[in-house]
Formats: sequence, structure tokens, C-alpha cells
Amino acid sequence: MIVLANIYAIFRKELQSYFASPLAYVVAGVFWLISGAVFVFLLLSDQGILQEIATNEQYGVPMSPIDVPYIFLVRFLSVIGSITSFILPLLSMGLYAEERKSRTLELLATSPITNWVVALGKLLGVVTFYITLLVPLLLYEAIALSRADPPVPPAVPLTAHLGLILLAASLLSLGMFISSLTNSSLIAAILTFALIIFLGILDIIANSLPQPLGAILNHLSLIKHYDTLVQGVLDSSSLVLFASYIILGIFLTAQSIEALRFQRS
Amino acid sequence: MIEAEHLSKIYGSTPAIQDVDFSVEDGEIVGFLGPNGAGKTTTMRILSGYLPATTGTARIAGYDVHEQSMQVRQRIGYLPEIPPLYDEMTVEGFLFFVARIKGVSAGDRAPQVQWAIQRCNLQEKQKVLIHKLSKGFRQRVGIAQAIVHNPPVIILDEPTVGLDPRQIIEVRNLIKSLAGEHTIILSTHILPEVSMTCDRVTIINQGNVVATNTPDNLMAQLSASRGYELEVEGNAELVQPLLQVIPGVKSAEVLPQPQQNHHLIRITTESNNPDLGRDIASVVVKDTGLGLYEMRRTRPSLEDVFLELTTEEATLDLQETPLSEQVSLTSTSEDDSPESEATPSNSQPPSSSDHPTLKNDS
Repeated sequence: MIVLANIYAIFRKELQSYFASPLAYVVAGVFWLISGAVFVFLLLSDQGILQEIATNEQYGVPMSPIDVPYIFLVRFLSVIGSITSFILPLLSMGLYAEERKSRTLELLATSPITNWVVALGKLLGVVTFYITLLVPLLLYEAIALSRADPPVPPAVPLTAHLGLILLAASLLSLGMFISSLTNSSLIAAILTFALIIFLGILDIIANSLPQPLGAILNHLSLIKHYDTLVQGVLDSSSLVLFASYIILGIFLTAQSIEALRFQRS
Repeated sequence: MIEAEHLSKIYGSTPAIQDVDFSVEDGEIVGFLGPNGAGKTTTMRILSGYLPATTGTARIAGYDVHEQSMQVRQRIGYLPEIPPLYDEMTVEGFLFFVARIKGVSAGDRAPQVQWAIQRCNLQEKQKVLIHKLSKGFRQRVGIAQAIVHNPPVIILDEPTVGLDPRQIIEVRNLIKSLAGEHTIILSTHILPEVSMTCDRVTIINQGNVVATNTPDNLMAQLSASRGYELEVEGNAELVQPLLQVIPGVKSAEVLPQPQQNHHLIRITTESNNPDLGRDIASVVVKDTGLGLYEMRRTRPSLEDVFLELTTEEATLDLQETPLSEQVSLTSTSEDDSPESEATPSNSQPPSSSDHPTLKNDS
């Protein structure tokens, strides 16, 4: 009970700090602007889905009947997944770096609250903020999917969004760990961004490696598992992988904060 | 309540503190006094469990600060050197947050937060964002967060830094009022703070404890600077040998640079003989017929103790520290002024609290 109360206290404080932070609003604004543009582009532009179908029909290209809402959803969330990679470092960079810089870590480190409780509370806070960023996207999707006939089974968008949130939570968890290593938010953001790019090209690296190693790396690729979920396939191995990344991030963060006690000078 | 045994902390190869021993009893206020860089903050951090000691142990309420950190953390309130404040929160919101993570139950939170706000005089700033506060108010919020959960042990690292003189007095009064039910250890480099607020003082210098005692005892230890200062008119060289032979007088010297035939004579005494002043005055006025313009006692102040203990050169002239209560008298003429009048009030016990010179802040 006390543990839950502590997690909630940290969570609440963290979430509050996002809503009080101008940076968070800038990030949110830019994210909404870009995702809105993506939405319009995907559907209506010359290379958009609607144009593609029209062209195909015009030239009489034989094609299997395609599920436009489904294709839209998959493509839209794939792109959002990529955009997310750019904004997540900005959300996670200050999680610990700011506490270190402003010396508030000294308060947390001398309060009866364990490191992993703090880490979990912080992660929940930033993930919740990220989820609020996604809310306007639901509106876009609702517009696109509302006229689908037959309607898209709700399990598909649910799974897809779960995938998006899990992807973000995994990357934020690792970003939180990186933030715990430095006093500088900027350094944390740059390193997190580098890590996200590395994880993003993991499957490309994996394919060029000799087999057993390549297969292992390939399985660790977040993007691959994300794409599976976005397609509406609820694969338990994907869930386990995301959960592993999240737990790894929390564990490393708690360890790094503990180690900090011994390094201070 | 607090016991520290042989605490050492070594950063790389530089020791911050070495073999620090002290204890604080229940309900006591102990001051940790030392110049900047003496290891005060390091000691406070070890006590709070923020830093592990390289060697040695510290226990609070019987719990080892490192091994049983959680039990210790539940029992302490800690104000670090830099108050740990979240700028984007309001004072009230921040204190609620601290109360939560310190484990104050939901029902007690509101009254506890209000109590802390009142004790630290923060009522008018209750709803203000912390980043809008001045340094003094930030410091007070820092103190409020250390007491909001009403911990049995309060550790304050430089609690009055950044406050104006009026606020300093308020904070000192606050600290004193917390004594009794709380055990308090505070660090400071400000001397009057210690003598005004603390039951006992531990003086630390270059990582070593150099003295632990009550402020009064520490001053009593330092008899070297006890004495008198006289201002006489006439040939002071004449009276100097006579003064030196008075029983109880250790030395008498005439200071150079007389002003218009007025000389300053500085006398250090060995004994605490209350009649000594009368004897001195008598020698000056009766035996040599010099004009006695001023006579005052010089007493050791905590500054003297501090300087003596923290300065390696033993040759330091403690009397250069011009901190002495003026019990002055002036006889305007050379006639035999009544000795009783010319005798300073020797019986007055040495007290440090009324020294006029307060180095309140740096």
C-alpha cells in the first residue's frame, strides 16, 4: 500500500511537471502539427492511399480488394511510430538529469522511498503524458475509420495503439536510464536519440550478421515487434519483449541511482 | 539519538573528513561548526544516508544510516546545502508532495503542511510557485520540507544561509522551539548562530573534530584572552613593570602608536580573581598618578576559540580579535576616582550572546 502511494506521489508530481513545462507544450504542439500533416498526406495527397486506389482502378490493374481503413491505420501508425522516436528523447531527457542538476535528487535519496519506486513513478508519469499526446490522433483516426464498411473490428486499432504505447514506454524507460547518467538534459537527449536510432536499425544490422547472432538481434528489434502489433496481431512474444525493455530500463535506472551514492564527490 | 563513530570519507585520495566522532542526545541541539570546506556538508550527508562513509559508522535512533537506510530515512528531516525544491510547484503543493513521500498519512497531511507553513512563516507564499520566491523564502521552504513530517531527528545544513538578519532570528527561534521533542544537528560557519541556538558545539576543521563542548565551556577553556584593556594618559612605560607584578597578571604590554599621550595597555590575566580589576586600577591611578581614561574587560569569544582551534599557528594573537563587551568607564581627571567605580563589573558571568559583532552572513 505504501509502495503504491509512493509510486502515485512520484507519478503525480512528474505528470504535473510536464503540464507546467513549456517544453512539453512545444513538443505536443509540434507533434500534433506533424501528425495532422501526415494524416492529410497519407489520405489525400498525390501519393496518398485514396489516389493510389483511384489510379489502380483507372488503369484496371487487377488487384485483390483492399481494406482501405486497415491500410490507412497501419501506415499512419507506422509513421507516428517513427515521429515518436524524435520526440521521446525530449520527454525522457529531464527525468533524472533535471533532478540531478537542481539537487532535488538529494530529497528523493533521503526520503523513505526506494529507487525503483521513483523510477516506476516517473516512467508512469511520462508514459501518461505521452498517451495524452496521442488523444488528438484518435480524432483523426475516427474520421478515417468512421465510414469504413464493413467496420474495422475494434481489436485492430486497440492492439495497434497498445503497440504504440508499449513502444514508447520501452524507449522512454531506456531514455530514463540514460537521463539518470548525466546532469545535462541535452546530453541525455542526444544519447537517447542515438540509442533509438540504433534500435531502429537493429534488424538491418542483424541481417548482415552471421546467423545465430543475427537471429537473436533480429528478435530484439523493437520496430519489428511494433509492426506486428500495428497490424493487429497480438503476439505474446512481442508483449514479452516490450515488457523486458521496460523492466530493463527501470532496473538500470534504479541501479544507476544507487551507484550514484558511491560516486558523489 | 545520533552516534557517529570514526567516520571518514575519502574522495579519491583527498580525505573530506577523518575519524569524526560525536553523539547527540535526545532533544539536544548540536551545532557543527567549521570554516568552509571543513567537511560539514559531507558529515551531514553521511548522517542523512545520502553518502556512504568510507569507514566508520553512524547510527540514528539505533539504526545504521547506511545498512538500515530506510528506517533512518523515516526518522529524519534533512535540509541539504542547496534546498531541494521543484521550481514548477507551489509551496503548498511541494510540501504536500514531500509529506506524501515521507509517509505522512492522508488524513494528517493537510494539518502537517499547514503547521510547517506556519512555523516557517510561509503563509503569504503558500500558493506561489517556488521559482518566483526569493532566496530567503526558498531557504524557508527548504526548512519547511525538513520538518513537515515532524521527524524525531532534523539535520540542517547551513539553515540560515541567504536569509536577512530578521529572518535569521526567526529561523533561530524556530530551531530553538523545535528542540526538546526533536533532536537537531545543524551545521554552520556562523559563530553567533551556534552560541545562540545550540546546547553543544562540535568544531570541525580540515576534516577533523577539534573540540566538542558547550559554547560556554569552550569559551572558558580559552583563558588566554581574558584580561583588561586600559587607556591611560601619561608615561605608560612607567606603569608597565608595576602592573606586571600584580598577582594574577600574566603580562602587560603597552601598545605602540599612542594618540596625544594616550596609551593603550593590554593586560592578560591568569586567574579569575574578581578583585584584579580594582588592583589594576589602583596601581594605575594611585601608585603612578596616570590618568585612567578607559578600562574594560576583554573576554574570549567563540570567535577566539574557533580561531585558536582552527588556526595552526599557535602564535596567533587572540587579543587582536576586538570582541569584548565594553564595560567602560572614564575618569576625566587625574584625581583619585573612587575605586569602586573604576572597577569593572567582574562578577558578570561571561556570556557570548551579547557580543555586538555578528558576522551574520557571508
